[in-house]
Amino acid sequence: MPPRSTRGPLPPLLLVWALAACAARASEITFELPDNAKQCFYEEIAQGTKCTLEFQVITGGHYDVDCRLEDPDGIVLYKEMKKQYDSFTFTASRNGTYKFCFSNEFSTFTHKTVYFDFQVGEDPPLFPSENRATALTQMESACVSIHEALKSVIDYQTHFRLREAQGRSRAEDLNT
Amino acid sequence: LALYFHIGEREEKCIIKDIPSDTLVVGNYKVQRWDIHKHDFLESAPGLGMFVTVTSPSGEVLLSKLYGPQGTFSFTSYLSGEHIICFQSNSTRFAVVAGSKLRIHLDIRVGEHFLDESAIQAKDKVNEVNVRLEHLIEQIHHVTKEQDYEREREEKFRKTSEETNSNILWWAIVQTLILISIGIWQIKSLRDFFISKKLV
Repeated sequence: MPPRSTRGPLPPLLLVWALAACAARASEITFELPDNAKQCFYEEIAQGTKCTLEFQVITGGHYDVDCRLEDPDGIVLYKEMKKQYDSFTFTASRNGTYKFCFSNEFSTFTHKTVYFDFQVGEDPPLFPSENRATALTQMESACVSIHEALKSVIDYQTHFRLREAQGRSRAEDLNT
Repeated sequence: LALYFHIGEREEKCIIKDIPSDTLVVGNYKVQRWDIHKHDFLESAPGLGMFVTVTSPSGEVLLSKLYGPQGTFSFTSYLSGEHIICFQSNSTRFAVVAGSKLRIHLDIRVGEHFLDESAIQAKDKVNEVNVRLEHLIEQIHHVTKEQDYEREREEKFRKTSEETNSNILWWAIVQTLILISIGIWQIKSLRDFFISKKLV
C-alpha cells in the first residue's frame, strides 16, 4: 500500500488526465465463428485517428481465417486470406464507419474461435504539456514510466495467453 | 460505445472471455432495431430488451437477466476459465420478417476498477495521488492473477503433451510386438506346412 503521508505540490493536470483518458478506445472480443459464416464489426472513426487491428485464431481446423477491412467508401484497406494472426495499423483518411469482417466461408465443418483487438486513437499523454510551466515532477515521471511499463506488460501477456491457448488447442486435438 | 455488429432478431450471439478467478467484468451494451420503413436503425425501440446470460467454465449460470435496450451488466468470476457471455433479444417476432436485424453496440472491460471521479475532483491533492496509486496497484494485481492463471494452463498443456507422447510410445511398442509375434507365427506355420508336405 502506498504511504498515506504522501505530501507535496501536485499539479491540477492530473485531473485532465482523468478526463482525457477516455479518448482512446480499445475493444477486444473473442468469439466463435461457425463454418461457412462471416462476422462483421463496425466502428465510427474520426479522420486522422491512428487505428490498429490485430487478430488471432485460437482454435479450429488449420487455425486460419479470412480478414477484410474497408473504409466508409467501400475501399478495401486490408485483405488477407487464410491468415493465422496479423496486425494492421492505418490512419483514418476520412470520417465515417469503418467495417472489418472475418470469414470462415472456406471451411466446411470446422468452427473457429477468433480473437481481435481494435484500438482506436493513441493514448493521450498522462500529463499534457499545454499548460505546463515546469517540467514533470519526479512523482509524475514515475507515474508515466509505470504506466508505459504496465501497458507493455499487458500487451505481452495477451499475446502470450493467445499463443498458449492456440498451442494447447493443438495438443488437445492431437491427444484425442 | 463504439464497436457494433449485426445479428438476426432471434439469434443468440456469444462471446468468450478467458479470465482468472475473482475478476470483475463490466459490460456496456446498446441495442437498436432495424426499421424497414425508415431504412435505418431506430434510436430506441420501446419494449426491446436483451437477455444477457453469463456461463462459467463449469457450466453454471452466473448471470441471467433481462435488460432494457441499453444497459450495464457485471459479474465476478469464481473459477478461472472460459466464461461465455451470450446476448439474445426478447423479441417475439418471427425471424421470417424480412430485413429484420439488430445492431448491438458492445464494450466489455475485464479486471478494471474504475476511478471514482468524484474523489479525483476533490481539491485535496493527497487523495488524488492515493486514488491513482490504488488504481495502479489494482491493475498490477490483475496482471499477477493473469500470470498465475497462465501457469495453471501451461501445466495442463504440458500434461496433455506428455500424455500424447506416452500414448505414442505405448502404441509403437504394441505395434512392434504385434508385428514380431505375427512374423514368428508365420514362420512357424510355413515350417510346419513344409514339414507336413515332406519337402524338408
